[in-house]
Amino acid sequence: MTGQSLSDETVTSLIARCGAGDRSALKQLFDAEAPRMIGVAERILRRRALAEEAAQDAFVQIWRRAASFDAALGSGRTWLYTILRNRSLNILRDESRTELSGDTESFDRASEEDDPETIVMKLGEASRLRDCLQKLEPERRQAIVLAYAKGLSHGELAGRLGLPLGTIKSWIRRSMAVLKDCLA
Amino acid sequence: MITDNAGVEKLTREELAIDYVLGMAEGQDHERALRLMSSDALFRTLVTLWREKLGDIDSTAPEHPPRDLAWETLERAISTQLPRPAANAKAAEHWFGSFWQNLGFWRPAAMAAGLATVMLAGGLAREWARPPRQPVYVAVLQTEQGRAQAVVNAYADGTVTLVPIETIGVPEGRILEVWTLQSREQGPVSIGRMDQARTLKLDLKQLKRPDAGHLFEITVEPPGGSPTGRPTGPVLSKGLAGQAL
Repeated sequence: MTGQSLSDETVTSLIARCGAGDRSALKQLFDAEAPRMIGVAERILRRRALAEEAAQDAFVQIWRRAASFDAALGSGRTWLYTILRNRSLNILRDESRTELSGDTESFDRASEEDDPETIVMKLGEASRLRDCLQKLEPERRQAIVLAYAKGLSHGELAGRLGLPLGTIKSWIRRSMAVLKDCLA
Repeated sequence: MITDNAGVEKLTREELAIDYVLGMAEGQDHERALRLMSSDALFRTLVTLWREKLGDIDSTAPEHPPRDLAWETLERAISTQLPRPAANAKAAEHWFGSFWQNLGFWRPAAMAAGLATVMLAGGLAREWARPPRQPVYVAVLQTEQGRAQAVVNAYADGTVTLVPIETIGVPEGRILEVWTLQSREQGPVSIGRMDQARTLKLDLKQLKRPDAGHLFEITVEPPGGSPTGRPTGPVLSKGLAGQAL
């Protein structure tokens, strides 16, 4: 079962129907988005079972909070993935931090697919974000992508890139300023 | 960075929004971000703008199909919850609402039909079950389409019966299992099995007597009943007990 892609308008209207208590709308969102959501969560949590749990939890929240979704505050798809990312990051930070951060083996075993440069390439020719990320120096670009896609903290990035924490913080800040100007 | 009166360096809202969206706001920064999300419209806007900008990265994630029965598990998790009305979030969050409110867990379009069926079933129950066999509590189990499929009657002497009121198709090699949910802590408990739809005496000896708000449901399970002791198959119908008038 791979999710067929829904337009942003369809996602937004399905969320509205969930808010009115229509379970078939939730099923449509689930069928279309759950596979990708599991992929996003797995990048952060590195374990399929935890990723499935995060997606499951996210859909319960999507159902419960659908009535308060406000299309004026961003797209429906962004709302869905925000709920998923927050749930995944909470699992990572609050529940399994120690266990997961000690798991260097699976960390280093990260698949080709999750390599930050591969992620940037997958953004596609037409992506403004890709163009703008490519204006950054490779290490800084990778820091941003690793932070967002894999949920790495400042400290983990510092460890991974062998740089002081302060350097990482200022890199992120300056890189995001460049992105902001570029994307404006 | 800005420095407050106490000389403590504090992230600007934009810096904090970026860290928050990247998932990098930790400790006090994270708490401050959560506070600002609920109290500061400018902060919310900054966060939304950054989320929309970076969201493309999510679309590059590989797709993995959910495990078997993931949808059924999700459906069970939400089956006792209506989406929370935006303005009245707290009240609806409480699981044990009133009977009528909770009956609306199926789609709203089914509500009218559902209520009519409840009244009809109530009328029939009065007509057929003459004293002393008047049930104290009745639950009408409805399908997702809002059809009444079976009625659970709980009598004063502790007897509880399930009476199907429409034909229930049982898949080849499967059985029907009846469950009740009396509290979240306890979870669903099996109270009867049958290979085809028929009137069935339910076994609640190990449980409290049925009460208003207790949930009853019928699921499809392997022969011998659910291997996990919890519902695993699709839910055919469900309903909450209400006091018979």
